[in-house]
Order: sequence, then C-alpha cells, then structure tokens
Amino acid sequence: MKFKNYDYYLIILTTFILFMIGAVSLYGITYYNYLAVDSGWTKTAQYSRYIDEMDSYLYPFLVLLLISLGLCIPKRLFEQDILLKFSAIILGITVILTIFSTIETGLGFILIVMTVVQSFVLVLTIRKSKSIRFEKEGYIARMGSSLLHLGFVVIMLNFVSLRDSPYHLLIFWFGVIFITLGNVFSFYPEKMASLLPDIGRQDT
Amino acid sequence: MGYTEYLGAREFLVMVGQPVITYILIMSLFQGIFSILYLFRKDSNYFDYLIKCLYISTGLYFIGFFILAWFHIQIYNTVLIEYPAALRQMIPVETSRIAAPLWIESEKLYFWAMCASAFALTVKKRKDIVAFIGTILSLFSLTVYFFSNPFKDPLPIVNSEITRWYAALSSGDMGIFQLAGTLYGRVTYYYNSTYMWTHPPMLFIAYASLIITFAACVYMLFKKDKLYDEIAYSYAKIGYILLTTGMLMGYPWAIEAWKDSAWWWDPKISGSIMMWVLYSAYLHSRIYISKGRMWKTTAYLGILCSVSLVFTYLLTYIVPGIHSVVQP
Repeated sequence: MKFKNYDYYLIILTTFILFMIGAVSLYGITYYNYLAVDSGWTKTAQYSRYIDEMDSYLYPFLVLLLISLGLCIPKRLFEQDILLKFSAIILGITVILTIFSTIETGLGFILIVMTVVQSFVLVLTIRKSKSIRFEKEGYIARMGSSLLHLGFVVIMLNFVSLRDSPYHLLIFWFGVIFITLGNVFSFYPEKMASLLPDIGRQDT
Repeated sequence: MGYTEYLGAREFLVMVGQPVITYILIMSLFQGIFSILYLFRKDSNYFDYLIKCLYISTGLYFIGFFILAWFHIQIYNTVLIEYPAALRQMIPVETSRIAAPLWIESEKLYFWAMCASAFALTVKKRKDIVAFIGTILSLFSLTVYFFSNPFKDPLPIVNSEITRWYAALSSGDMGIFQLAGTLYGRVTYYYNSTYMWTHPPMLFIAYASLIITFAACVYMLFKKDKLYDEIAYSYAKIGYILLTTGMLMGYPWAIEAWKDSAWWWDPKISGSIMMWVLYSAYLHSRIYISKGRMWKTTAYLGILCSVSLVFTYLLTYIVPGIHSVVQP
C-alpha cells in the first residue's frame, strides 16, 4: 500500500516537532529567568524540580521525533504499511514501558531499536544493498544520510541512558564524528567525491 | 618580563587599535550609505563603491584582528603566574601563563563581525542581497564600535585578574591563596582550554555564515526566485555543520569545567537547542520548497532561526545562568 505524499507529510511532521522542541526550549528560558531569584537557587530542590519538569516537557516530543525518524529510517527497508505497523508497535511498547516504568526506560528502548535499525541501514548502505531505497542520489550522499541519522540516535541514547557509563564520553565522540561526517557527506557529496576518489567512483 | 611590560602592551594596543576601529566605522558607514542607495536606485556605480568599502572594511577588520593577536601573545609572554608554595600541593602545576583566545569579552562581537564581513565578500550572485548584507554589516560595525570595542578597554576581566594578582603579590596579602586558586581554575578550564579555542570560534563562524542565510530568506519572502533559496541554503550548510559540531563540543567541556555546577537547561543551553532545532526545521522544510506553501514557510523559518540566533547570543547579557554575565 502506498500513501500519497507520504514523504512530504513526514517532512511537515518532523518540521513541526522540531519547532515544538524549540518552543519548549523558549519556555525553559522564561521559566529559568522567573525562578532564578538569587544566585544560590541552582543548589535548591526547586532547581531539581525545574530540570525534571523541563525533561518531562521535552521527552514526549523526543519520542515523536524518534518515531518520525523511525518512519524515515526503515522506509528504506520496508513497505509503507509494514513500516507504519512497525512504528505503531514500537510506540506502543514505548508507552507501556513509560506507564509501568519511567519515561527514560521508554526512551531508552526506542533509542536502542533505532540505533540497531540505523546501524543495519549503514551496513547495507556501505555494501550498496539493493534492498534499501533512498530519496537521495549517490553513494556519498546516502552514506552521509545514514551516518547523520545514526550519529543522532547514538548521541541521544548516550544522553538518555548512558550518562553514568564509563564509555559515555567515548560513545559521545563517536556520535560527534558520525554527525559531522554525515553532515559533510550529505551537504557536499560532489566535493567529497572529488576528495575521496575511491569512494566517489562508487557513485557511478 | 612582567606586569609593566604587560601594561605597555595594553597601552600600545589602545593606541594602535583605536584608529583602526575608527576607520572600520567610517568605511562601514559609507558602506551602509552606498548599500541603501543601491537598494533604492539600483545604480551599479553605488554597488561598485559598496564593494570597495566592503573590501576595505574587511581588510581593516583583519588588521585589527592581527593587532589583537599580537596583544594576546604579549599577555602570554609577559604575565607569569607563580603559585605560592603552600598551594602547590593542591595545584598540579607551579606556574601558569594565560593563553587567552581571541573571542572573549568584547572581542567576540568583533570576531563575529569580521567573519560576517569575510562571508559577505563571497556572495557574488545577487547584488541586492549583497547590498542588504552591506546595510546589516554597517549596523553591526556601529554596534561593535559603541558597545563592544575591543580596543577601548582591552579585555577588562583579564586585566582586572592580572592587576589583582600582581597587587596581591607585591603587598604580601594572604588573599593571594584564594586568588591563585581562582586563577588556576580560570586559566585551566577557560582561557587555556582546548574547548575554548574550538567551541566558540566554530559557533561565531557559523553565526557569520547564517547572516547571509537570513538576508537571502528575507528576499525569499518577496520574490520566488530559486537563486535566493540556493544562496540561503549554501550558507546554511556551512553554518549548520559548524553550529552542530561546535555545540556538541561544548558538552565534554561542560562536564569537565562545571562538574560541581548546575548547567543543564541553563538559558544559554536552552537557547542553543532552540536555535539548532529551528535550523534543523528550516533544512527539513526546504526539501519540499516548491510544494504548497513551503516556500514562504521556509523563508519564515530561516528568518526565525536568525532571530533565535541573536536572542541566544544576547541571553548571556539579559538572563542569569552559568553562561551569563548577569546574576539574579
């Protein structure tokens, strides 16, 4: 089953979610300014409550963003109807985990799923598999897109679930490298192809 | 080498730098006048004058920057902080030198304006956008001259730290122990930190590039010309790469330097997240720019991003927080 303008509405949804995260951040600035009545307020319980409150506003949009990313990532692997069912199941499990545990657990679950899926997409992209489909043309641009999405979910997983891990910073730097390379490859595929002729040749 | 030499270098900076920034202001004012004249009359002669002014003002910005770099080298060479013997058990070094980056205090706006001028010279495709950017840069130079002049009172905070250090040293004041501890923290985690040398300049170069995106997005509101979108996008790409990586590089620095402080959901960090997600939204919306109302939505988003950029920059001065100069 193929939905008309599927990708277009997916982009509108993603843009809207990003815009809403921006609105949450703006609210955070205003709220911080309202609460910061003296210089010692960050040492009070009120500051911890502020952090928890802000996290609780952000996390639903983060889940939505991941779902939208999820609808975007595996569309290269599955047909649209399978993809929608897949996303609905993931969202359902996330909601159940959030209800019976915490939102961090739910987010952690969805992030692990997305990291696995995106790693799989990256491997398939590197191997030039015919089973994945991209909007973007060219090997380097596709590599960039895969790296960028993987870097994004790795960084988020690291922030949400691995803050106390001894490998926290190491994973963080891997995420930064993926995101930076992903951005450069996505934005400048032709220049990268000329700089890396061995990889660039695979575009043809 | 010592405090006297440092003061001599500071006086020399004021003496040489003030005329340079005054010439920048004069050239920028001419640049602004020619930009406005071109925007209204579309006479190519005005555009040629505007380009000449832009080249001269950018050149002057770079000359000023080299003079500032010389001053920073002098700070490094002349100021030596020798920690008292009693403190050496707590501080792992015996001495420190200040390697102050060139984008702190009043120098950051100067650095941003210099980068923006350099980027403006690379926009060749549309004269109207160049003229509009010329007007913006003219206002920028006015702001630098009157509100953030790095040559008027060079590095006031660094200067007060150095002055207090030498005063305490000569008077034998016991407060020197506390001062040495504070200075050690400032030098290690701020001035000499690798992150301070990478995180802010990446952001300021990104900001400079995104000024061009802003100008092109304003034009997109009035005219549906593909070239405007191409200009906006080509500079947004540079800006977004630097903004993303630059912002991320602030994270390990925050963990290291602010391990005992509260910084999560700090207003500046919230502002940076807001700015980044808005730029991400802009880049997403332009994928389908020719469809439905996406052309205008993209243009509005591009403008909103720039508003959030300026707002995020100003947060340091208007809202309290760990990044801020104002406190509750």
